[in-house]
Amino acid sequence: MNSTTERGGQPAGAGHLSETDRLREAGWFSRLVHRPEIGAFSGMSVILILLAIAAGDVVYNPLGIKNNLAIVAQLGIIATGACMLMIAGEFDLSIGSMIGFAGMSMAIMLKWGLPFGIGPATPLSAFLITLCLTLAIGWLIGTIVVRTRLSSFIVSLSFLFILRGATEVSFRTFNQGSTQVSGLPDFKETDFFASLLGGETFQWFYDLLFWLGLNFNRAGDQWVTGFDAKVAWWLVISIAAWFVLSRTQVGNWIYATGGNEEAARANGVPTDKVKVSLFMFTAFCATIFAATQVFDTNTADAAKGNLKELEAIAAAVVGGVILSGGFGSIVGVVFGAVIFGLVQNSVFYISWIDGSYYRMFLGTVLLVAAFSNETIRKRITGGI
Amino acid sequence: MADPLIRLENIVKRFGNFTALNGVSMDVHAGEVHALLGDNGAGKSTLIKILAGVHQPTEGTIYLDGQPVSFRNPLVASDAGIGTVYQDLALNSLTSVTRNFFVGREITRGPRPFGILQTAKMNSVTKQEMAKIGINIADPEQAVGTMSGGQRQALAIARAIHFGARVLILDEPTSALGQKQQLEVLKTIKRVQKRGDIAVILITHNEIHAQLVADRYTFLSLGQVIGEGVADNLAGGDIRQLMAGGAQMADLEEELTAIN
Ligand SMILES: Nc1ncnc2c1ncn2[C@@H]1O[C@H](COP(=O)(O)OP(=O)(O)OP(=O)(O)O)[C@@H](O)[C@H]1O
Ligand SMILES: [Mg+2]
Repeated sequence: MNSTTERGGQPAGAGHLSETDRLREAGWFSRLVHRPEIGAFSGMSVILILLAIAAGDVVYNPLGIKNNLAIVAQLGIIATGACMLMIAGEFDLSIGSMIGFAGMSMAIMLKWGLPFGIGPATPLSAFLITLCLTLAIGWLIGTIVVRTRLSSFIVSLSFLFILRGATEVSFRTFNQGSTQVSGLPDFKETDFFASLLGGETFQWFYDLLFWLGLNFNRAGDQWVTGFDAKVAWWLVISIAAWFVLSRTQVGNWIYATGGNEEAARANGVPTDKVKVSLFMFTAFCATIFAATQVFDTNTADAAKGNLKELEAIAAAVVGGVILSGGFGSIVGVVFGAVIFGLVQNSVFYISWIDGSYYRMFLGTVLLVAAFSNETIRKRITGGI
Repeated sequence: MADPLIRLENIVKRFGNFTALNGVSMDVHAGEVHALLGDNGAGKSTLIKILAGVHQPTEGTIYLDGQPVSFRNPLVASDAGIGTVYQDLALNSLTSVTRNFFVGREITRGPRPFGILQTAKMNSVTKQEMAKIGINIADPEQAVGTMSGGQRQALAIARAIHFGARVLILDEPTSALGQKQQLEVLKTIKRVQKRGDIAVILITHNEIHAQLVADRYTFLSLGQVIGEGVADNLAGGDIRQLMAGGAQMADLEEELTAIN
């Protein structure tokens, strides 16, 4: 007896496979290569190895690690915001200008006091008032996008110009025509809150290196004392964003909003609120970026943050985020930020490479990433 | 005859000065499949969007269990038990079966909307509910994009039923599918019909599909009801003619041969 007749005369050839049998449980390897961050991880590994070969002594010495991670962290902070928003299907091109705007706002308050002559500003009050301002602007951008249904590309592009212009005008008004403020007091030495943003963190790591005999200067004293505080901010923001996105209800709403907005709305997801909140989140990330810079260097400049919005989007794309939304992960963006931050900073240490190759590299990697994202997307959706 | 689960009375819908629906009435009973048929642009999708709370009727009343109701938005309608499976299925093919199943109604622990997803529980519910309508999925965390068209329909149907749909609206569930997949979907519809407590409104352009599962018919043409009836009283030819908006098939056939 063969199985065909046992099954009551199903036509041979068509088989006794039912459609549902074809959806097998994926093995661990298949799961791994289907992860959105796999491409970025491979890219990062290659870069880390290449840098070790090309310039291991300058890139991976204590100071090199500190400086590289500072750049990576800065980019990572805004890339996280950009990533969340892109997964929800929108763009924010105003991130860079928002950085300049927030830095300006804090610096002016720190130098000339709180608005309406209420009195001198502390780092905390300057930061909080600035954050209120930037969150309000983020809310405004998001609200314009969801109300008018205009493309966020255009709306946030407008704010790229508006905010940059406003920043320059404000600086000139306060500072006799100069578009920068320098020589602010070194708040991070005297103020706890300022040290949280502009000071150092993870000192134990460098203490440990010193103790191991890997971290001393010519005089034999400890050389590097700690990472920039922005590294800790990057980690906190990334972990929080990862948790929200992959483990909470609102994370599911973000994916749903970007993946199929009509569908999400039909199922009761408040898609407009999701989007507006995420525009506010990118504004928050830009403000943190600016604050870590202001309290670290005690300066602010109207040109700060220029082009950062594009680097943030690029890092997100390299991290596996798909431009049309609905797909991506924070872990991937962490890798993306490492790739860009590391290369951006390291090429300047390598004397035999022209630093501007960095931009060519960035462009090429972006293109490759966009291609591979598309391939991954096709594989996941079965080629649709 | 039992009272209808849902009754539409003289529904009129105007978009500006275009009348999409011009006084449509229709009764739908629990445990029955009600085929809503008609040519392109007849107003079928508009009618079910009114039922689903997407559009508001310009005139007319909807009765649910004999009580007049008004569905201000899709949430109100779905809370009242109207489950809609849209033509485009309302799925995000890049995320998992479970995430799609529970979107907007996730099982969570902790304060909304930051509650933690109870993934294991949601996975097992998804698996169970899919199995109930005849689809066994091995891995509910697989992306919806990897499922076949018929399975996606089943997912959308299972989701609607799980979240309390008493009226299940299916807008052309077989239109984008191959022959075998179409039959899968019809089987799914049959299983829902057999439960006896759910009223199904089925929109299709395929008269054979309608005949295979429908208990009752309503024919729309240019926004008006041009015929209705119970399955037993309608012959295939009538159905075909009414589906085409009342045009005589014989005439059409003549016109076709005239071209040759
Ligand atoms: N939002 C709208 N604004 C203006 N006109 C609309 C709107 N929605 C639908 N219509 C019009 O109403 C008519 C009925 O459309 P509807 O989508 O209900 O048709 P249908 O019966 O579902 O057709 P099909 O079989 O092609 O899906 C069409 O002429 C359509 O152009
Ligand atoms: Mg339609």
